[in-house]
Amino acid sequence: MKMIKAIVRPNKVDEVKTALEKLQISGMTVTEVRGHGKQKGHTAIYRGQEYNVSLLPKMEIEVVVSDSITDEAIKAIIESARTGEIGDGRVFVLPVDESYRIRTGEKTVS
Amino acid sequence: MSEPHAMQVAPREEPRGTRQAYLETARRELVVASERGEGGRQALKQYSHRMDAMVQQLFAEAGGPALQPVGVYALGGYGRRALCLHSDIDLLVLFAGPIRDADERFLHAFLNPLWDLGLTVGHQVREVQDGSRLDSDNPEFLLALTDARAVAGDATLIDRFLERSDSARISTRTVDALKTLIAERHARFNTTLYQLEPDVKEAPGALRDLFGAQTIAKLTDPALLGQGGSGLRALEDAEEFLLRVRSILHLETARHHNILTHELQERAAERLGYVGTTARQRVERLMGDYFRHARAVDRSLRWALRAAPVLIGPNLVKAADGIRFVDARQAVERPETWLAAFQVAIDAGCSVSDDALGHIQQHAGRFAPEAFFPTAAHRDALLHFLKPRLGLYERLSEMHDVGLLGQMFPEFRGISSRVVRDFYHKYTVDEHTLLTIRNLERLIEAGPERERFARLLAEVDAPELLVLALLLHDVGKSRDDEHVPESTRLARQMSERLQLDEASRGAVDFLISHHLQMSLVAFRRDTEDPEIVRQFAGLVGVEDRLKMLCLMTLADVEAVSLEMLTAWKEELLWRLYVDTYNHLTLAYGDEVIDSPSILADVIDGRPSDLNAAEVEEFLEGLPRRYLQLFSRDAVYKHVRVARDLTRDPVQAWLERTRGEWELTVVTGDQPFLFSNISGVLSSFGMDILRGFAFTKPNGLVVDMFHFSDQERFLELNDGGEAELVRALRDVVAGRTNVAARLKGREEGIFRRRSLGFAPVVHCDNDSSRRYTIVEVVAENALGLLYRISRAMSDSGCDVDLVLIETEGQRAIDVFHLTRNGAKLTAAEQQALIANVQRALEGRS
Repeated sequence: MKMIKAIVRPNKVDEVKTALEKLQISGMTVTEVRGHGKQKGHTAIYRGQEYNVSLLPKMEIEVVVSDSITDEAIKAIIESARTGEIGDGRVFVLPVDESYRIRTGEKTVS
Repeated sequence: MSEPHAMQVAPREEPRGTRQAYLETARRELVVASERGEGGRQALKQYSHRMDAMVQQLFAEAGGPALQPVGVYALGGYGRRALCLHSDIDLLVLFAGPIRDADERFLHAFLNPLWDLGLTVGHQVREVQDGSRLDSDNPEFLLALTDARAVAGDATLIDRFLERSDSARISTRTVDALKTLIAERHARFNTTLYQLEPDVKEAPGALRDLFGAQTIAKLTDPALLGQGGSGLRALEDAEEFLLRVRSILHLETARHHNILTHELQERAAERLGYVGTTARQRVERLMGDYFRHARAVDRSLRWALRAAPVLIGPNLVKAADGIRFVDARQAVERPETWLAAFQVAIDAGCSVSDDALGHIQQHAGRFAPEAFFPTAAHRDALLHFLKPRLGLYERLSEMHDVGLLGQMFPEFRGISSRVVRDFYHKYTVDEHTLLTIRNLERLIEAGPERERFARLLAEVDAPELLVLALLLHDVGKSRDDEHVPESTRLARQMSERLQLDEASRGAVDFLISHHLQMSLVAFRRDTEDPEIVRQFAGLVGVEDRLKMLCLMTLADVEAVSLEMLTAWKEELLWRLYVDTYNHLTLAYGDEVIDSPSILADVIDGRPSDLNAAEVEEFLEGLPRRYLQLFSRDAVYKHVRVARDLTRDPVQAWLERTRGEWELTVVTGDQPFLFSNISGVLSSFGMDILRGFAFTKPNGLVVDMFHFSDQERFLELNDGGEAELVRALRDVVAGRTNVAARLKGREEGIFRRRSLGFAPVVHCDNDSSRRYTIVEVVAENALGLLYRISRAMSDSGCDVDLVLIETEGQRAIDVFHLTRNGAKLTAAEQQALIANVQRALEGRS
């Protein structure tokens, strides 16, 4: 199993979700986050005064998928979240050794 | 007691003798009662009735009814029907209109016979219009008015007389005057009621104190004396005792004498039937009763002085449990006065009392919506009430709970306790709606985390329209289908009923019909895409609507549930606001009216005296923003005046709207034009609040300034408007030097300079294709705009477009400049910034 963490533009969440659902991936966690990557924020001007916008609002989507569809899922996320501009985000892939269903205690091993 | 009756009509040749006989009969009745020690309330009431009949007869004989409407009113003790044997007859003669010779003759014919009868008449003669000056009247007269009672003639004039005054203020002044008079009177008696020879009218604990307590209760809370002090029964007993004693004093001395001397104590004790083997024993018993009653009066007066609610508005007092109606019976018949109870509750930082809410709840259903705001003044008061302040949510909730809100706004009734199930909303629709208003009012005391939004709220021109829009934004949820169009339709009904002006209706309509739009764009669109921002800016059009929509979105999202509005969403919303604001203020110069599709509406709707070509010619080249700032009527007016520029090159006029003045100037461009116009306004002491200037490529200029006339020059001078326009023409034509006009005022300003925040001058060559944009944020001061724009012109710049904003003490001005038809170079920008800085510091 793999955990895929994708940091995407806020307006891209629905598109990513739809793309993952097409792969029968329906369970996911979506979190509002703020941060910066290569962008390192930018300078904005309001009423003649400059101010630094260092942490940009993004959405973090977490899904855990079986190894067999990991590549497809990553591809789906990248294609649906891409605009081609700086600030499109990142996808991280982490190994997951095991998981448990809290209600039943059922264990799933990678 | 027999009912009052008309005096027997005497033969015309002997009216005086008949009147004398009638008066003697009436007095005889009171004398007999007083001799028996029974000259109390009933006897005095009977005597007052007899006097009424005689006054009515004299009024008829004097020809009163044949003249203009006139009314005769009994005041003071006579008004209270407690007229003693030798009391003054206090009368108010009130005329409907100005008093003329015929009225003077009537007065003589009416009053002379009273004097001829040997009565002491205290009379006041007034016209109804004098009611407007009642506030400055003497306190004794105000007090006497509280007991005014119609005796003859037109009984309605007193209401018209009092309606002309500020009733709350008069009542407050009356109570204050009464308190002062009581303190002064008590001081004359060393502030003790235990007088060996008491004055039964004036002494502490005597009749004046009793009437004083009753007057305080009458003006503040009619139930007051039953809730504390000695209680109503003890007061009634005291009044009866004191009146009986007073009647005996008048009888024994045959004059207006109220001091219960040792000698008269014996006479009084005897007439009142006190038993005892010696006169001293009888007197001691009499005086024992006197002091008992005086203590009762004193206790009640102290209670009234201590516990009387504070008069706080017309028929309204602030009591321990909140705002109450003084006269609830009167209040329930006048629904247009109810809102004032909630208004003063907000002002006083308290709630409306359960008692008042109960009355409203019981009667609200009887009235149609229009009954709550029947006049323009009531409608203005409603809008004033809706200004966001702490307490507004609580008061609106009270109004909703007792059914008043739904009665005033029938559109709101449909969402009362309405449940709409979705994934997000956690409250009923009505409560969600009211919570949006609470969220808005909480911005007023928001901490640093919400300061940026709080400042937006302070900057909105008419925040009451935002609250009105919030109140109605979800009323369409009374139906199960798409709610926004239905909310918009219902809100239009309400706007119609409130008779909102066109601009206000437009703002409310816009906010409700687009209330979901900003959250959609902020949270679900790529706001880093300039095209998304451009489209959104096109939707909102102008900054004030952007600010209102931003605040509406914030308040609406937050009212969905406790978790819905996160700091993350606030940031997204703010970023969209800033990007859109920058687009509206910095990029609008590039978006000009240049296509038939933009012109079509304006051309199609033109009045018959304008042809399509001249409308098109006038508009082409102006920024599109022009059409969003001016109503269609204003646009057509500009087209018309532009025709006349060949005949008169400066077209300028003043209008007054919502307490502010508005100067519009249509003319041809020339160097220093903008600074000259703003300089003329400043030379008259005008504080420029908002405005904009548009210059077309062909040199046509349309400028508009909103300003406040702090020195009331235009208000106090009949020809003030013409003088200001004349000065403007002279300056523009070069006949007068504006710098000379301003010199004295500017010196004063720089002497009084405050050390506020440092001014910001920022040049931007990126936001517009055509212009260098200069934003100036500085502490507002008279002539500021003149100095900045003059420095720009001195630097060789053409001032083509200007946006002027004043937010509190902060002036925010955005100038679109060119120099020799091009943007400024980096060096020119540096020089310009230095010049403007010098002008701001008064060094230029």
